[in-house]
Parts: sequence; structure tokens; C-alpha cells
Amino acid sequence: MNGSLISNAATRVVLALLPWLILAVTLGGTWFTWNHERETTRKALRSQFDFALRETVSRVEQRVQGYEQMLRGVQSLFATTQFRNRAAMHDYVDTLQLDANFSGIQAIGVVEWVPAPRKSAHVAAMRAAGFPNYAIDPDGLREVYAPIVQREPYVGRNRMPPGGDVWADPVRRLALEKARDSGTAAISGKVKLKVDTESVAPPGFIMYLPIYARDKPRDSVEERHAQLIGWVYAAFHMSDFMASLYGNQSPGLVLAMYDGTDADEASLLYRSDGATASGEPSHRAAISANEYMVVANHTWTLALSTHDIFEARYGRGMETVTAVAGTVLGLLLAWLTWLMVTGRDRALRLAEAMTEELRHIAQHDPLTGLPNRALFNDRLNRELARANRQHGRFAMVFIDLDHFKPINDTFGHDVGDQALRQVARQLQDCVRAADTVGRLGGDEFVVLLAELSDTDAILAIAEKLHRAVHQPFIVSGQELSISCCIGVAVYPDDGTDALSLIKNADDAMYRAKEAGRDCVRLCSSTP
Amino acid sequence: MSTRLLFALLVLLGQFGSANGATPDCSRTYTLAFHDHGLLYSAETNAGIDKDVADELIRRSGCKVTVSLMPRARIWQLIESGALDFSLSGIANAERDKFAGFAWYFSNKYYLLVRNDSGVRNLSGFEKNDALQLGVIRSFRYSESANRLVDTLQNGNRVSQAGGLAPLYQTLMAGRIHGMIIEPFDFPALEEKKIREMSTIIEFNDPSVPHGLIMSKKALSVAQQEQWRAIVNGMRADGTMRRIFEKYFNPELATALTNF
Repeated sequence: MNGSLISNAATRVVLALLPWLILAVTLGGTWFTWNHERETTRKALRSQFDFALRETVSRVEQRVQGYEQMLRGVQSLFATTQFRNRAAMHDYVDTLQLDANFSGIQAIGVVEWVPAPRKSAHVAAMRAAGFPNYAIDPDGLREVYAPIVQREPYVGRNRMPPGGDVWADPVRRLALEKARDSGTAAISGKVKLKVDTESVAPPGFIMYLPIYARDKPRDSVEERHAQLIGWVYAAFHMSDFMASLYGNQSPGLVLAMYDGTDADEASLLYRSDGATASGEPSHRAAISANEYMVVANHTWTLALSTHDIFEARYGRGMETVTAVAGTVLGLLLAWLTWLMVTGRDRALRLAEAMTEELRHIAQHDPLTGLPNRALFNDRLNRELARANRQHGRFAMVFIDLDHFKPINDTFGHDVGDQALRQVARQLQDCVRAADTVGRLGGDEFVVLLAELSDTDAILAIAEKLHRAVHQPFIVSGQELSISCCIGVAVYPDDGTDALSLIKNADDAMYRAKEAGRDCVRLCSSTP
Repeated sequence: MSTRLLFALLVLLGQFGSANGATPDCSRTYTLAFHDHGLLYSAETNAGIDKDVADELIRRSGCKVTVSLMPRARIWQLIESGALDFSLSGIANAERDKFAGFAWYFSNKYYLLVRNDSGVRNLSGFEKNDALQLGVIRSFRYSESANRLVDTLQNGNRVSQAGGLAPLYQTLMAGRIHGMIIEPFDFPALEEKKIREMSTIIEFNDPSVPHGLIMSKKALSVAQQEQWRAIVNGMRADGTMRRIFEKYFNPELATALTNF
């Protein structure tokens, strides 16, 4: 018995917790799935981004290689002809037919290596070659000079006078030295090209290849120093260079290129659309990375970051769907479970409430809400049993309203009903909680005054009831005043059973009527 | 019976001799690429261990070999496609074994170089601190636990790629990366002191990894690879390889690197 009580209690606890358990499990599952989905998406985006970064780096490297290959052609020209063969150089570049594929190139040119002792001979030779005003710029005495002696194609801005000493600029000089020492191509840091005479010019860079004296050894750095006679170069605008890349940039990516390893405004070479002035993406990028490229003996920093479009295009967008669907399903499932496990309890509670309501209906007068005859009899029997047991006393009071029928006839049943409800309220206000006021039907009321032994007190209450009924009240704008006849029977003086008590109380009330109404009569007080 | 045995021995010896002694087929020009990497090869000076190894290899083969400089990632790509015949100082992994043959000539350990101010004392310390970035050279692979560290950090978006050592040292000194994986020949001659002062070296607990001549399987038949491998083995056997390394390292380290 005890065991089954405990197991019942345990079952109830489990049932009560079940919806919460299901909610926890489904929400946990949703979180797990959402997290997994988010991780998968993140990985997919990351791998797509890594691929794009690798591709972009590769495209830039290949383009630099392409330009280097082109410049090697110019370098090779001087393996077959004199270094100062201006016509050959002009014809060679002319024959290259640099089309849109090479639109990054602003100029292809030749720089001559001029140690100070050879300066005057060099200037004289240049003046003789058709530049009567030729001078090395900037002027002044230095140990070595590296003036530009030829620019091709010889059109437009490239016709500006030669003689600019590139060795005098530390950024260009570093690349010239690297090319000279390595014997390979070297590109400079960010420069303003000499052909850009405007005050604000697009960022540029220059690629140099060294020219050594023919048929001389150049295996070591020292030999290469000794045999250097000049350089060939190609000058670029970075924006044009980037525009000439092969292949397509993945949509939704923001690209910026910086000179060296510092990604700051001063070293910014290029930025794609969607980047702010500092080259940073205009919003917080989900993924971003810097790659430090080494191209032609020089470092560029390639900064790539994602834009919303990239995430929308390559992300799967399933995280939100998973989270919302999972949460909603979890809540629904938990609610459904709650409905199922609490269904019996709720049905029982409903039945109880309905039973209680039915019982109330069965035992009360629908008009006044007072106990009806059945409930009143029940209370009377209980009070009889109590008084009998305890040799106690109690009273039965019968109340009949005087001339009630004319109210109904004159003012209508609505007003009559309201008058009855008012009388019921006033009677209830006069009695104790232990007493019972009932309506037997029509204009007849009955009051059970429980546990009263003093006849005077009983009469006092009867008088009080009489006065209460007599109180005028307003119904539908009419002031009404009703009188009543009251008959009282006392246990055990006027009867020791329900029937005799009721009969005697009724008789007393009739005597009150006969005595001219509007008065109280006690059963035993009459002859 | 004894005559037949002697004949069989002669045939075997002959085969052995031809496999080792035959010079490569020089009917075409070969291609070889360097990558700029510390003492292995410096583009700025066009000199280094790989350059010396390549010069000797080319001299002994008697073949014409066009030499160029490329990023390491591009080298592996071209070796795989067969457009490039050789490169140097390569290490193997399962992926690379599919398209490349190797002729080993030195072996070394890998080290993690970390900034002193990162507060890292051991490998797991670096991995655990999410704020620390590792710099690597694109397409480089290392010893087993170094590879594992790189892969883990890559998943956590904590790896910066570079095309060579120079920008890695620059970003390390600037504090934008906090560590990089190095080999004994990775210190640049320039600024070596400055780097050593601001950094600490942590050894990966892995055995030495052999490095060797990389041969494209697409470009060279197994027999051809064997001929080139024989030249490398010859250079090791007659002490040439050790002498090349002694140009760059003290004799003890040179011996440790080339004896494996």
C-alpha cells in the first residue's frame, strides 16, 4: 500500500517533469544542430575564402611574372646589340605592340649606370644623341648616377626630357641594388612615377632588370657589381596593373594591396570597390586575412576580407532556419506532452467544478441564490439532530410578505423579482453565519436560527427580521416598502421533529396574518 | 655450377653498376627552380646551399638545366603538373609522394620561434593563447607536430600566410605575428642579432625530417629519377655535400645535418 503510494507519487513527479524534459532535450538538440550547421557554414565560408585568397595571390604573381617575362625580352635585346642602340630599343618596344593586356605599363625604359668619373662623358654623349639640353636631374655632385636615358613608347608624357637620376631616390635605389646584386627582376616600393607630373598621382611601382657587360662573368655579387652597365625598367600604375589581372575576383570580396608589410594608408597601393579610405572594409568583415606576398624581390601585403554579399552567396543560411524551426517544434512538442500528461487531472478538476455547480443549482433558489427547500430541510434535520444530542434549543422562523401579489401585478414580474432579491439580501444581513435563510417559493421565506436558547433573543431577532423587510427600497425608480407576517416555532417547546416545527411556525405566521398582518407571532405564546 | 654463379653475379654487378653509374639522359633541357629561403637560397645574392647543390648536380649530370626563382607554392604546383623537373630541399608527405620523387641530402629538426613578449614557454602555450598569430610560408609543410600546430591554428583563423621568410621576420619584429616555424638555415644574415634578442626558440619534439632533391614524377621516369638520385648519393658519399654545408655552418652542425 505504502509502496504503491510512493510509486504513484514518483510517477506523478515524472509526469510533471516530462514536458520540461522534452523541452530541454529538443532545445538541446536544436542547439547542437544549430551549432553544427553554423560550424559547417563557417568552415565552408572559410575554405571558399582561403581558395579566393590563394587564387588572388596566384593571379598577382602570374601577372608580375608576365610583365617580368616581357621585360626579359627587352633585357635580351641588349644581349644582341649595343646598350646605347636607341633605335633598336625604340623598334623593339614598338614591335611588342603593348595592347590592353599590358595596360598597366606607363613606360618601358633604360637607366644607365654612371659613376662620377664618367658623368661628363655621359652628358656629352646624350647631348650628341639628340638631347642638346640634356642634364642629370637632380643636379649636384654624387658618387654615382643612374639617369633615365630612354623612355618608350616615345609618345605623350614619355616624351618628357630624359636625365632623371633614379639612384637619388632611396626607394628606387633599393630595387636597383636588388636587381643588380641578384641578376634578377626587382620591383620598387610605392613611388610617384616620373612621368606623373601632377601633384597627386596614382600609386606606382617600377620593375628593374639589370644589364651587364656582354661576355663577362657574373656568377658572384662582386662580378655582377663590376659588370653592371645599366637597367631596363617598366613603370606601372598599381590600379592599371590590378585591372590587367587575368581571371575574375570572387564577388563579395574586398581587396587592398599595400607596399611592404605595413598595412597603413601611407603604403596603400590599391583598393577594390567597397573598401573605405583606409583600405579597410567598410563594415566588420566575417573573415579577413593578410598575405605577405613576395614578388620580384619585393614584399606586398594583400589584404582580403569578405563582404555581406560573399557570406550571402557562399553561406548556407540554414542556421536561422534550424534555430527557429527547432525551437518552435520543441515548444510545440513540450506543450503537446503537457496537454497529454495533465489531461486526466484537468478533466477531473472540470468534472468536480461542474458537479459542484450542479449541486449548487439543485440546492439553491435560482432567483435569490438562497438555499431551497431541499437544502433547508437538510440543515433543519442536522440542527434537530444536534439539538437533540446536546439538549439545545433553536428556532424556525416563517416569513410571508404582505400584499406581494399586487406588486407583481402593478409593476410587473421584473420588479417583483428584484423586490424578492432585496428582501433575501436584507434577511441574510440580519442573521449569523450559522443561521440559514431559505426561500420556500413565492413570497415565503424561512429562517433557521441555530443554537438559540433564550426566547427573548429569538423574538428580538424575529423583530429585527421584521424591521429589515420593512426597510423601504428603490426598484426601477419606485420606492417600495413591504411588510410581512412572521411566525416563530422553537425547539423543543413547539415540536421535536421537523414536521411539527414547520407546521407550528406556519400556524404562528397565519395567526399573524389573521391579527392584521405586519407583525410577529410566537407559536408557544399563543393560546 | 660455379661458372653459372659467377655469370649471375657479373650480370647483377653489371646492373648495379649501370644503375649507379649511368649519367642522366641529356637529350633535353631540364628546368630547376629555387625558392628564396634563408641560407638555402637568397635571391638578393643569388647564392646559398641549394644553389651550390644545384651547380654541382648540373655539373655532374652534364645536362643543360634552366634555373629560375619561384614561390614555393608555385614550385609544388609545377612539379605536380610536370612543367618543372626539379627543385631542392623538399620534404615528403603522403600527398607529395603521389607526384614527386626525392633524393635526400640533409635532415633537420623544426623549431618554433616565438616573440619573448608573447610569454610562451612551450608549444601548447602558443596553441592555447588565442591572441597569438603564427606566420607560415604558403604551401610549406614541416615535421608531424609542427604540421598539427599549423593545421589547428589555421582552423582557428590564427595563421598568416607569406610568400617567403623576409616578410615573416618583418611582421614578427613588428608584432603582427608572434611566432613562426624555422629550420637551422632560416636566420637571415642581416638582422640576425636583433631577431635572436627578441625571440626564443622552442624545439618540436619530432625526429629530424629528411630534405632532398624534388623530382617531378610526371616529367621524369622512375629510371631517370634513379639516375639523378645516384648523382645526389654520389655527392653525399664523396663528402661534397658535407663540404657545401660547411661553407654555411660550423663543421659539427654541417655533419649533423648531412649524416642521417
